[in-house]
Amino acid sequence: MNGIHLSRLPLSGKVFCTLFLAGIGLGALAAFTQASTAVGISPSAVESSLAPEMPMTHVREGEMSAEKEVDLAQVANEAKVWIRTPLLIQTSHTHLFSQTLIAGVLGLIFLCASVSDRLKAAIVALPFLGTFVDIGGMWLTRFVSPSLSVLVIAGGTTFALGYVLIAALSLRDLWFRKEAA
Amino acid sequence: MIRHGAILLCALAAGPALAHITPPVTLASDRDAVATLLPGAKRYFVREVRLTRADRESVQQKTGWSPDEDFCRFYLGRDEQGRELGAVTFLSDYTIHGPVRVAVGLTPDGRVRAAKVVEVTEETYPWVKSLLDQGFLSDLQGRDPRAALRTTAGKASMTRFYGEVILGLTQRAAVLYEVAGSRPPSRE
Repeated sequence: MNGIHLSRLPLSGKVFCTLFLAGIGLGALAAFTQASTAVGISPSAVESSLAPEMPMTHVREGEMSAEKEVDLAQVANEAKVWIRTPLLIQTSHTHLFSQTLIAGVLGLIFLCASVSDRLKAAIVALPFLGTFVDIGGMWLTRFVSPSLSVLVIAGGTTFALGYVLIAALSLRDLWFRKEAA
Repeated sequence: MIRHGAILLCALAAGPALAHITPPVTLASDRDAVATLLPGAKRYFVREVRLTRADRESVQQKTGWSPDEDFCRFYLGRDEQGRELGAVTFLSDYTIHGPVRVAVGLTPDGRVRAAKVVEVTEETYPWVKSLLDQGFLSDLQGRDPRAALRTTAGKASMTRFYGEVILGLTQRAAVLYEVAGSRPPSRE
């Protein structure tokens, strides 16, 4: 980009880019671990945390209340993160800022990689798209249809795919590519 | 140039970092809470109540809080003869440091039998633990939380703040039970 190539960066620039990519990779692994332990990484786990709470008694439209006997075993015995609207707002604003910032810095590094501009445009868009699909999927799961929880998984996967491609191609340029002067 | 860029990046990152919610800490499962807060119960029932506009206004008037959901759930315990022993409901408050979820056990006349904090976050845990270690929840037993509750627990401001949060949730649970939970079911 504008004559700046990763392979021609001074050592300090290469160290900075490498450590940033490594740090974001470790952060992404930690985030994945946290998501898998706190919520789960299957669409059904995401759905149960985000979707509106369904009545256990199947209280019907027009009925003011209903009651049914339950076995204690039917009451949840597992830790479960309930992401209700106020928490969804908090999560959205923190993650939209932080993930967009990460996608932006990743993109800045990758803009200096030596790949075709079309490929660059496609790859640099992945973390941004992943973020939008991920957070948007949470809102759609909550307010449109629980079945859209698959978007949250798809968004996270898209972000991760974008990171892996950006990191792999950037590291190749940084340390293994010999650019003709 | 680089310095200005670094300052801008730090400024942009500071907001999300400060407002980030730490992972949840579960102190009790829902099942444990229901079993503990309905001692002596032989049979358990779920009662779900749709909140009318009048219900919401009544709750809002008494607590200053408007319920998030359009229905609320109570777990009821009964003895072998079918006598009601009390009810348990779960409520959360979403503070800036993350959610606090409390299970409140109520006697049939609406007094607090006991309360349990079932979920906090890593960040809020030390403040809430400090309250629990002081026996804060034991002080609630037998009280009528429909009257305004005040806490004297905790000298630290955050501990006191979470004491107020837990008291607020306890009061909301009691008012919700009084307004809607004690309503006989239209279908069994």
